[in-house]
Amino acid sequence: MDPQLTSQVVPIEEVRVIEECLARLAEDTSGNHVLLLDKSGQVIASQGDGSRQDITALGALIAGTFASSREVAKLLREKDFKQLFTQGVRENIFIALIDDQWILTIIFSKGTHIGLVKVLTKKATDDLGMVLDRVREQQKHRDDVLGSSFRTSMEDTIDLLFRD
Amino acid sequence: MALINVATREIHCKIVYYGPGMSGKTSNLQYIHSQVPPAAKGDLLSIATETERTLFFDFLPLDLGKVRGFQTRFHLYTVPGQVLYERTRVAVLNGTDGIVFVADSQKHKLEENVRSLRELAVNITKQNKKFQDFPVVLQYNKRDMPGALSMATLDKYLNTLAWQRYEATATNGGGVFDTLKAISKLVISKL
Repeated sequence: MDPQLTSQVVPIEEVRVIEECLARLAEDTSGNHVLLLDKSGQVIASQGDGSRQDITALGALIAGTFASSREVAKLLREKDFKQLFTQGVRENIFIALIDDQWILTIIFSKGTHIGLVKVLTKKATDDLGMVLDRVREQQKHRDDVLGSSFRTSMEDTIDLLFRD
Repeated sequence: MALINVATREIHCKIVYYGPGMSGKTSNLQYIHSQVPPAAKGDLLSIATETERTLFFDFLPLDLGKVRGFQTRFHLYTVPGQVLYERTRVAVLNGTDGIVFVADSQKHKLEENVRSLRELAVNITKQNKKFQDFPVVLQYNKRDMPGALSMATLDKYLNTLAWQRYEATATNGGGVFDTLKAISKLVISKL
């Protein structure tokens, strides 16, 4: 099947593994927030400060930044920039690419040393890379997950909601 | 590639509005944002220049609520249409599930439309996807402008792959939801 005709299905047990990994990273780095994104900007899982209401927009912007840096890399004849670091007055953001598909983002305060974040992120990206491999291997057919009547119900909802 | 999160029972799909500069991509999102009920939409995020031209993208998250137990979300993006932002368009296209190509119906814009569509085909192909099979809906916008080309003429130059196409005047909302419905259903059918 063509890649555009498939969806990435993340099973429950793998989401649990991802959440544990993110929680550990958040705790060890004293990170305020840790996010795992798909390269299209969708948030797969997040851990940390529950007060954040802007996760969706954050995901879109971070994925956009990363995709933009990829194009910069091409112009510089680099294959990819695997990591990005953005420094703020109060908070910093460290972003790491996982096998060209997922993006790991850690938002941490000035008190945490960037070296520590880099080392712990390396370990986390290795672990999450293995999860990604498993997710890719065990692709399920849409109907196994959603049920065959999903499309009809979805079309009804679209008609109901998308109107003037 | 759409994302189905079984644990949180969520489905995310990404739709990109593509097309030449000033064809009305941002106007589409602005109209959708103004009409969709508050519970179903997030903030419209625009990264634009001082003169309100799109610099990176506009972003509008739509939440369709629970469908058969799955929280379903569509994320709508626009690309910057101006020629110099070609690489930025590549970045925004990353991981998209469907495209709305917003064409400007005015006669003097025909060449820009054709060039933009050709560029889109190249960019989708570079993502290792078959352009012929990719979910695309055409929107012929600015139908109210004097000198708008006929549908037949636009079809001849832009719709060689026989996509669904809709007439629109995005600034007052004409055809905007017809287009959105069509691309949403097309994307869902390919999940």
